[in-house]
Amino acid sequence: MRISLINGSPKVNNSASSMLLEDLAGCLGENAEIVDFGFHSPTISKEVVEELEKTEAWVFLCPLYVDSIPGHLLSCLIQLEEAHIHNPELHIYGIVNCGFYEGIQAEFALKLLQNWCLKTDFIWGGGIGVGGGGGLAMMPKLESGHGPRAPIEKGLAELADIILKKEVQKNKYVSVAFPRCLYKMAAQLGWRQMIKKNGGKVKDLRKTWE
Amino acid sequence: MKLIITDIENFNIPVRGEQKVIKPNGSIRHCIGCFGCWVKTPGRCVLHDGYEETGGDMGKCTELILVSRCCYGGVSPFVKMVQDRAISYIHPDFVMRKGEMHHKRRYKNIITLSLHLYGENITDIEKETARELLKANADNYDSLVKGVYFYKSVEELEDVVL
Repeated sequence: MRISLINGSPKVNNSASSMLLEDLAGCLGENAEIVDFGFHSPTISKEVVEELEKTEAWVFLCPLYVDSIPGHLLSCLIQLEEAHIHNPELHIYGIVNCGFYEGIQAEFALKLLQNWCLKTDFIWGGGIGVGGGGGLAMMPKLESGHGPRAPIEKGLAELADIILKKEVQKNKYVSVAFPRCLYKMAAQLGWRQMIKKNGGKVKDLRKTWE
Repeated sequence: MKLIITDIENFNIPVRGEQKVIKPNGSIRHCIGCFGCWVKTPGRCVLHDGYEETGGDMGKCTELILVSRCCYGGVSPFVKMVQDRAISYIHPDFVMRKGEMHHKRRYKNIITLSLHLYGENITDIEKETARELLKANADNYDSLVKGVYFYKSVEELEDVVL
């Protein structure tokens, strides 16, 4: 089975989407031939569309931007709709990661992908909203079923199984197994470190433009 | 001030009162997820293409009016890219709101949000998504929802006063 894994993050490297993509690829294992695509800008080439057409399932992975999918990815989806690909057997899946703790905040980004499937006549196979995506890079990979990434790994393994069987699941929402208050503290500490590294002061974080 | 973000290049819909209209004018760059608008030039996007000050504009407005082609129950890529580039309206730190994590306010203004979507075949499912999406936006901006309105064409929109 040929499966397209589509990284819809604007970042070419080191994104939470690329980490989730690698983990999902690991879950799909040798049972699938994986074709990687990077939708990092608002346009996709004709060649990319042709390559996508040769696969049986597409999995979109992207960050949550203002309660939805990023604008550049939306632009790519419109191009794909306008390509008028006729494949009523094509299964579409989505994984949206949020900087917020609660995966449920990705609900409408997944809904948008689902609505896109209605327009394109593809099959919406379901997705996962991942909460706490901002911390994934800092969280160690431990033995399967353990550590803060465990709920996400479980969700990805279940989705991989669904994809391989060309089945459909309801959208699921997961969060990192890490206390929300500590996640919040760690993120806020991170912003302070970043602004200092850029030569600014902590108080600049609240700068306003009147 | 009413801030209007629209994908209509020849925007001539009447607007009552003081206004600023952000519409396509040359190409827009998409958000690159660098967080520079929070930790390099707080309050302003680091990409300089004429759309970098929307976060500040939002801090000065009383109403944010999105006028857009309906795309799967959301706004069009142009309007979404402007929204994505304006996250500096909010502060990077988190607060809990309605039991969920959201961003802290940077500005004190309470924005009233409205969404005007046009398109020939907007389905009931898309309409429902649009309503829910605007509510989610309001939670994130800590703002209020005025309403979501649907039109079959841009021409139909020209009969309204924003």
